[in-house]
Amino acid sequence: MTRKRNITRREFLRLSTIAAVGVATASCAPAAEPTEEAATTEAPPERTEAPPEATTEAPPVVTEEAAAKEAPMLAELVAAGELPPLEERLPTTPCILPAHDGVGNYGGTIRRAFKGVSDRWGPTKSNDHFLAWYDQDLNLIPRLVESWEINEDASEWTFHLREGTKWSDGTEFTSADIVWWYENEMGNTDLWPSPYIKWTVTVGTDKVFMDLEAPDDYTVIMKFARPKTLFIYDLTRGTGMESFGVGCLTPSHYMKQFHIDFADDPEALEAEATEAGFENWAAYYLDRNYWYLNPERPSLSPWVAKNALSEELFIMERNPYYYGVDTEGNQLPYVDTIQHRLYETAEVLNLWVTNGEIDFQARGMAMANFTLYKESEASGDYSVFVQKTASHVALQCNLTAKNERVRELFNDRNVRIAFSLAVNRDEMNELAYDGFYTPRQYSPMEESPQYYPDLSNLYLDYDPDEANRPLDEAGYTEKDADGFRLWKDGSGETLSFEIVGDWEAGTPNEDAVQLLVRYLADVGIKCAYKYIERSLYQERFRANDIEAAWWGGDRTLLPLAPLAVIFRGYQTDRPWACAWGLYLQNPDDPNAEKPPEDHWINEIWNLWDQCEAEVDPDRQNELFFQILDIWAEELPMPGYLGNQPNPCIVKNGFRGYLDGMPSDDTVADEHFLGTETYYWEDPESHMS
Amino acid sequence: MFGYIIRRVLLMIPTLIVISIISFVIIQLPPGDYLTSYAAQLSAQGDTIDAQGLKALEERYGLGQPIHVQYFKWVSGIILRGDWGQSMEWQKPVKDLIWERLALTILLSSVAILVSWFIAIPVGVYSATHQYSIPDYVLSVISFVGVGTPGFLLALIVMYLAMSQLNQSVGGLFSSEFLLAPWSLAKVVDMLKHLWIPVLIIALESTAGSIRTTRANLLDELNKPYVETARAKGLEEGKLIWKYPVRVALNPFFSTVGWSLASLISGQTLIAVVLSLQTTGPMMLRALMSQDMYLAGSFLLLLSSLTVIGTLVSDIILAWVDPRIRLRG
Repeated sequence: MTRKRNITRREFLRLSTIAAVGVATASCAPAAEPTEEAATTEAPPERTEAPPEATTEAPPVVTEEAAAKEAPMLAELVAAGELPPLEERLPTTPCILPAHDGVGNYGGTIRRAFKGVSDRWGPTKSNDHFLAWYDQDLNLIPRLVESWEINEDASEWTFHLREGTKWSDGTEFTSADIVWWYENEMGNTDLWPSPYIKWTVTVGTDKVFMDLEAPDDYTVIMKFARPKTLFIYDLTRGTGMESFGVGCLTPSHYMKQFHIDFADDPEALEAEATEAGFENWAAYYLDRNYWYLNPERPSLSPWVAKNALSEELFIMERNPYYYGVDTEGNQLPYVDTIQHRLYETAEVLNLWVTNGEIDFQARGMAMANFTLYKESEASGDYSVFVQKTASHVALQCNLTAKNERVRELFNDRNVRIAFSLAVNRDEMNELAYDGFYTPRQYSPMEESPQYYPDLSNLYLDYDPDEANRPLDEAGYTEKDADGFRLWKDGSGETLSFEIVGDWEAGTPNEDAVQLLVRYLADVGIKCAYKYIERSLYQERFRANDIEAAWWGGDRTLLPLAPLAVIFRGYQTDRPWACAWGLYLQNPDDPNAEKPPEDHWINEIWNLWDQCEAEVDPDRQNELFFQILDIWAEELPMPGYLGNQPNPCIVKNGFRGYLDGMPSDDTVADEHFLGTETYYWEDPESHMS
Repeated sequence: MFGYIIRRVLLMIPTLIVISIISFVIIQLPPGDYLTSYAAQLSAQGDTIDAQGLKALEERYGLGQPIHVQYFKWVSGIILRGDWGQSMEWQKPVKDLIWERLALTILLSSVAILVSWFIAIPVGVYSATHQYSIPDYVLSVISFVGVGTPGFLLALIVMYLAMSQLNQSVGGLFSSEFLLAPWSLAKVVDMLKHLWIPVLIIALESTAGSIRTTRANLLDELNKPYVETARAKGLEEGKLIWKYPVRVALNPFFSTVGWSLASLISGQTLIAVVLSLQTTGPMMLRALMSQDMYLAGSFLLLLSSLTVIGTLVSDIILAWVDPRIRLRG
């Protein structure tokens, strides 16, 4: 059992305190002009202060003896003269990645499965960790960049690149690449009619594109028209979505040939685009810029594509120029290749798992099959770990429902509290989810720096009598012959509303919502669940055409990173205040509504504006806690269960993945600890 | 005869035009479009896309244009350049995607059809000639069970047995080490190791029905005077049966070319999905679900064209065989 390491709550608290103190001191320090040394050795300000042993403070370890510290398959190439020696391939100060499970062995293959291009997240999440990434305690540490600084209001971000970082074809990566991307890709209106939101700030109602400067080859300064304190989170994950300009990492020397302004023969380029089946050069350019669709495109990731993801087997092979090393100076990644095999149905995936053909995967695994996975642990030679994810089971009562009577009902705080008290969470947990969840309100996870027990543990006790009281107080006292409450308007009609969701009959979530319908019936509330297809759901919430939804809620590990979209009601697929959320997105939307002046949601939005502009992380947390206080007071979205478990299949002998780590898409799910530091105890027997 | 064929070919043109319009309209009917599902997918993975971003994508895919403009663009691409458009989900030209999978699909379907006939015809003949004997009852029971068993269920069972009893890797047509390898003897051997499961299942599904058809048709023929005559003339029984009534009884197999051409491509979708076979069926199903409209539309068009062509072929065969049809046509 040595391989599993559970991080206890206490340990976590201790570590996060250290980190928090560090952050506080760092952010108090004036963001003065960095001296040459300060730029490289000082920990960068903002929430990037790493725990003592982490990257920024450790001296560069690459010495002569480290030259041999590379994968055997690369050493062979070097010996054959096909590849330059290691020290020429690494930056002068390589990124030292913490190996959470010790220094590993080189070699082997990780076998995984995926469902096609639309399910490219397995490959991208394992490979695309970007300018900064998290350590085990969720502190951000520099990764591709050596360090960064912000000015006093966080409107200006300065990044220091690692000198000598190379693309996977050996060309040097410098600030010129980023400048080229800024001017010719994100700044080109054929490619980007309007720049992707990540690179903009909103001033009034306008999106303002950032300014970008590169004083030298290794420094890039991004300037925004107003503070953008959480910008660094946008630079963690997700070059997998280049189609949205998420990555600023375009290999300009390679992509130039597909750019109309740089092509030797623009007409030939247009012809080539048409030949390849694209509308114009822009579409062709963007297609060629996906590392996983175009294996020839150089990249900076630990693994590079050997073929296109649209095939039945997608193979990623180690990047000989990867800029990361372990604490002993061994170049990462440890594992030679990652392969993803295409499957059509979960049945085939499950058979592969039980037959031991999947080495490491949480994606696509269902808790409903937990027993099946467990049964075959011995024969398939793997272990099943249970990840704790950020998802919650929660009910969205649309405060802006079109039906006036439903709107009045949901806007009554008493009613929402009654909806929370009326539910027997333990029974729901046992009957629908085999007892794997934890009763809690929709709120930040325990592992989160924004964990707030005052909200998480509110109104969790099953108390039908207590639930009846607020409903009576709210004035819904009259009942019909069947014991259901009537609307307050004296029409004599029975109160009822509809809950929609895309959970089909027989799924645990559908079981749970049917239980909810029964619990609510016990306190005299009549409602019904209706399954609707996903696209129809999209249409309906866009039109504010939903009364209540059974859509749950996630993004609670680092709620600030995704800009608290659910807590603010911004993300309208969790439609607890659909029309107001639409207003927040775009006031001109025909279905948008401005919330009443005195409504508490305005206060949430105000607090968020302050929170987003706050540079000091402690102050920022405080402001966010004030938002959570409003949540605790008003309970906008009654939550039932949280800590949704997700099985993760780990082949025996596979090391580096630690049990007990939280999982959320913000931190790339099972790739949180950095897949490049995962390794095989015995790589020889996993060569595939 | 020649004039008849020309007339039929000319008639096919308006039919195909109407079909292409109908299929294009149908794939646009469900709420939302590809971008709706794409935006949902992104949002599920923790990325947000704003209204302007969606607008940009809409332009990139040409989804903002009126439906008739999109239609003409698509159809003119097919006719003028052989360009079937771009699959939005796979980010590849539709024709490449379909071609990649077509060869395996046709191979699989035709092998399965041959295996099915190879079993069904002898068994059906035996059943008919030994009507109401114990073997006939046994075979009838088996084939009724076969007709009643859904193929996908059988696929699940066979897959499980192959894995647990034979310790064989299931799903797909190749082991993973051969997936990207160029064709070689070893790859063919590997494919044959996997091919038997889908072939068996697809064949079994149609075999049962074919046995019943052969048996019923042959029973109709067996009592006809020409059989009696042949028998009275002392023709050997085996030769008699196989040479005369069986040939007539097999007519349905050959006159169903019309729809079997289309089913070569889309047939057995459910089984292929369950077995994760990389054939055209699962791809079409997925295209329809994600509203990947050019891919889905191309499939619908292709299937309709094959049905229309198949019908023509079987009409020609029938006309050739049966003078009455030819004269009326």
